[in-house]
Amino acid sequence: MSEKLTRRDFLKRAALLGAGVTGTAILNACAPTPEPTKAPAPTAVPAQPTKAPEPTKAPAPTTAPAPTKAPAPTTAPTAPAVVKTPGDAFSWQRFKGEKIEALLIKNTQGDIMAQNIKEFQDLTGITVGVDQPAEQQQRQKLAVEFASGATSFDVVYYSFHVQKRLFGKNKWVMDVRDYLKDPTMTAPEFDWNDFSEAGKAWATEPDGRIDALPNKIDYCNLYCNKELFDAKGVALPKTYDEMVAAAQKLHDPSKNVFGFVGRGLKNANTMLWAWMLLGWDIDVIDSKLNLNTTGPEAVECSKMYQNLMKNYAPPGVGGFNWNEAQSAFALGQAAMWMDGVGFAAPLEDAKSSKVKGKVAYVVQPKGPKAQWAGMTGDGMGISSFSKKQGAAWYFSMWAASKSILAKSFAAGSGSQARNSVYTNAEALKSLTVPTAWVDTVVASGKIGRAALPIIVPVTEFRDIFGVALNNMIGGADAATELKKATDEFKPILEKSEKA
Amino acid sequence: MALASHRKKGYSRQNAYLWFIAPAVLAIFAVIVFPWVYTLWMSLHDWQIGGKSEFVGIENFVKLATDARFLSTIPRTLYFTLLSVLLPVVLGVFAAEVFHQKFPLRGLVRGIYIAPMMATPVAIALVFTMMFHPQLGVLNYFLTLVGIPKSLWVYSADTVIPTLALVEVWQWTPLVMLIVLGALASLPTEPYESALIDGANQWQMFRYITFPLILPFLMIAVIIRTIDALKSFDIIYVISQGGPGTASETINIFLYLQAFSFLRIGHASAVVVVFFVIILALAIILLVARERLRWNR
Amino acid sequence: MESVNSARQAEISYRLKKWLGRIALLFSVILVVSPAIFVFFWMLSLSLKYEIDNIAYPPVFIPDPPTFDNYAKIFRESNYVLYGYNSVIVSGAATLIALLVGVPAAYGIAKGKAQGLGMLIMVARITPGLSYLIPLFMLFRFIGISGSLLALTISHLVITIPMVVWVMISFFEDMHPELEEAALVDGCNIWQAFYRVSMPIARPGIAVAAILAFIQSWNNFLFGVVIAGRETRTLPVAVFNAMTFEQLSWGPVAAAALVVTLPSLLLTIFVQRDIVTGLAAGSVKG
Repeated sequence: MSEKLTRRDFLKRAALLGAGVTGTAILNACAPTPEPTKAPAPTAVPAQPTKAPEPTKAPAPTTAPAPTKAPAPTTAPTAPAVVKTPGDAFSWQRFKGEKIEALLIKNTQGDIMAQNIKEFQDLTGITVGVDQPAEQQQRQKLAVEFASGATSFDVVYYSFHVQKRLFGKNKWVMDVRDYLKDPTMTAPEFDWNDFSEAGKAWATEPDGRIDALPNKIDYCNLYCNKELFDAKGVALPKTYDEMVAAAQKLHDPSKNVFGFVGRGLKNANTMLWAWMLLGWDIDVIDSKLNLNTTGPEAVECSKMYQNLMKNYAPPGVGGFNWNEAQSAFALGQAAMWMDGVGFAAPLEDAKSSKVKGKVAYVVQPKGPKAQWAGMTGDGMGISSFSKKQGAAWYFSMWAASKSILAKSFAAGSGSQARNSVYTNAEALKSLTVPTAWVDTVVASGKIGRAALPIIVPVTEFRDIFGVALNNMIGGADAATELKKATDEFKPILEKSEKA
Repeated sequence: MALASHRKKGYSRQNAYLWFIAPAVLAIFAVIVFPWVYTLWMSLHDWQIGGKSEFVGIENFVKLATDARFLSTIPRTLYFTLLSVLLPVVLGVFAAEVFHQKFPLRGLVRGIYIAPMMATPVAIALVFTMMFHPQLGVLNYFLTLVGIPKSLWVYSADTVIPTLALVEVWQWTPLVMLIVLGALASLPTEPYESALIDGANQWQMFRYITFPLILPFLMIAVIIRTIDALKSFDIIYVISQGGPGTASETINIFLYLQAFSFLRIGHASAVVVVFFVIILALAIILLVARERLRWNR
Repeated sequence: MESVNSARQAEISYRLKKWLGRIALLFSVILVVSPAIFVFFWMLSLSLKYEIDNIAYPPVFIPDPPTFDNYAKIFRESNYVLYGYNSVIVSGAATLIALLVGVPAAYGIAKGKAQGLGMLIMVARITPGLSYLIPLFMLFRFIGISGSLLALTISHLVITIPMVVWVMISFFEDMHPELEEAALVDGCNIWQAFYRVSMPIARPGIAVAAILAFIQSWNNFLFGVVIAGRETRTLPVAVFNAMTFEQLSWGPVAAAALVVTLPSLLLTIFVQRDIVTGLAAGSVKG
């Protein structure tokens, strides 16, 4: 049968994957692969159509033990003798002397890796050239290099919510299942099952390939300025209706206080809108690649976005990306700010914030139909064009190791793909953000759901709908704009799937 | 006889000059002509990076002709260009008149004045972005100091183009000033002396003597500025990225989006071709206007 | 008595006018340079303040106390010395090659009236830089020099060659032909006439062409983004390295912006006289 059919079938079932063990998520085009050894047949998916989240379940690292257990730590080489012949025990020194290039992003996650790179080099004897361009430049560089059939990097940090389908479809990043299976290639302490279900599912392609090691899984949350809420005796919002009502009550432009702030800039705003749409329990693009962008839910959601951004946000919000929104909130000028959990660290730093200690981290409120926390994810992939894939694999393993992710977690770099970081006492102790934030992250993990569609033309999608949303902030009619954007985007999507 | 030998000599000299240009021709073919040919060829293909390339003839152009978003970039680009040409010309003439006077530290002040055109656009643009912030920006603070209501600058669709042009004006007025300054230095002094005797005032002298004399130089400035303003990229890309919405999406930004965000190389190449025709057309119009001007004098 | 009085009055009114003129000039000078001064001042101010002061409103103008944290941060996180070195090599080489190739070409075009090539150069000058990017990138991939300083230098020739040729053509066109004719009659060949006679006269023009080409190349951002690799990145591209996702970074960005643009600013202040005399000597008569 055609690949597409199986994939669709697969997607349908994948969508049914309800409450996993931890970090439950519904992903548009991801297959669950609990064990790396087995190519996940569609039947492996629980048939239980429980779409509803299971908020009762604790996010403790209780993942069921996988059949193929990684070798016990005792098998680790006692002496760092170089094992040249594969088939023996695992050795970090196996690729000693090789030199690889790692293309990361300029963010806290990348900073932690860069700061600890000596640890990796000492451990493995591999020299790493680390590059951290700004996100936008990095994404362009990636696409152009991959497309030209050769890459200057061996291992790359990329975003599942933007590039997964493009990379996966073109097989630009290599399948690491063979490495994961091979006890001589996978460090005994690595523990694949420590990764959250959401992370594992997101790193997996519809055909079972594992294209990347998940690194960071982030959730949308609502930052609230407690001081402003308390001053007017408003309770922290639990639903969208309460959120809008709070924005209205707290909005006081004469005192330079605005009820709400968020991304209004074209492209960036699509993210926020897609997160909001989850409250109506639908994806912008469903697993059958139907656009859910003109229905009553999308219109209602857009109207809420329009209402918040047009009436209760600072003037000029149509040009705001995360950084302008962040400044407004950090200065105490906005009562609420809806964005990813990863922005907490600077808000809790007195050098850059006036709201330190005054921030309430509220789980993305419940919409009219359901409560989900919008999710984004990043991972580390190995370039298919790399000639040093072994060394690159070692780097991605190290970059997603318990210790590195715990360090990133402690530095406030959003929520991590491993369950163990949340119980890592050392990380919790040195956490630069309040523990209330951790509670929010953990709670979000239980209701996490990918918001952006897993399609190739993600950028076009974000651009076209971004313009529509931006027009709405300017006062345009929501339904008309949505219709226009949908008509414009539909042929692009169809073409990309045909190609 | 003498004439014939002269002609022959002239011919051989003409040939000898070819050797002067040969290396340049080679270099230009490698780095300039090759990209043109490649672009033209790609503009006839449907190719998105990561996909297959397919010959489609003029389909890309047909699509562009009906693409409302692309079409809207053309008047927007022209509006931006108009502002970025006229204002520097007016301000540049004024500045040149100032620097044509003698005053202490003139060299240093002039150096500072032309610094913007030498500054790295990307760096400057980042600083301007911070200055334009509607709530925290220093420019709005100045406005409130003098009692003008705050502006949204690049954060509103209505003001974004003039604001971006403002940055362009800030950066490129010095170039116009330099050109006019060169012109002023070359002016004869006699007409001014006789005008003084006739009792002409400053404005009359400027209007009836200086202006006609510097007009040809101004035309040069206009041509250079027009071409560069049409192509302006760094400033818009860094400050507004074409936003809010598409309010500042010029042809060049649209082109960038197609090529490097959407990776639609075929489509982008077609945009290049159309863009190029527009620039060429404007340049020719201006050159013709300049010739006319020369002729009339 | 009366005439003395009126003479004094005339004297006073003359002085008054002179003073008024001076004040007007002073005022005009301040008016003209203040936008430039303010933007650079603000850049400096942002770079010396903590983030909380940078986003304060009303704005904090004078950093109190100034901090060098932003500079420490950007120098710690990015290798600006390397990027600066790359920029010098790329812009220097691209300018030098452009002069070597472009000055004779401009001479040839001006004297030999090779209008075709002249047009080609003009067209090259008006082509948007973006359109060179994809083909050149593919070309560099194909011959295997992508990401090298060599590739970057070649791409910068797209900027520098048309600039040099374009400035120099009008220079040579305006030059009086008698001197060269005299040299030719004296038995010089064309090369000698060019090298011994025309070049020295055109020196101010060459200086302007070199300065403009160098600075245009130095400031180029786009080619660096796409073509340069990790170790061949130039300064303008590195400005963006100061922006960290999820962090406010006005201070570091301003610091990086200043570091990147400082060399061209200093160069400008030192060579402004050359630029002015060069341009006055007619390089942009077109």
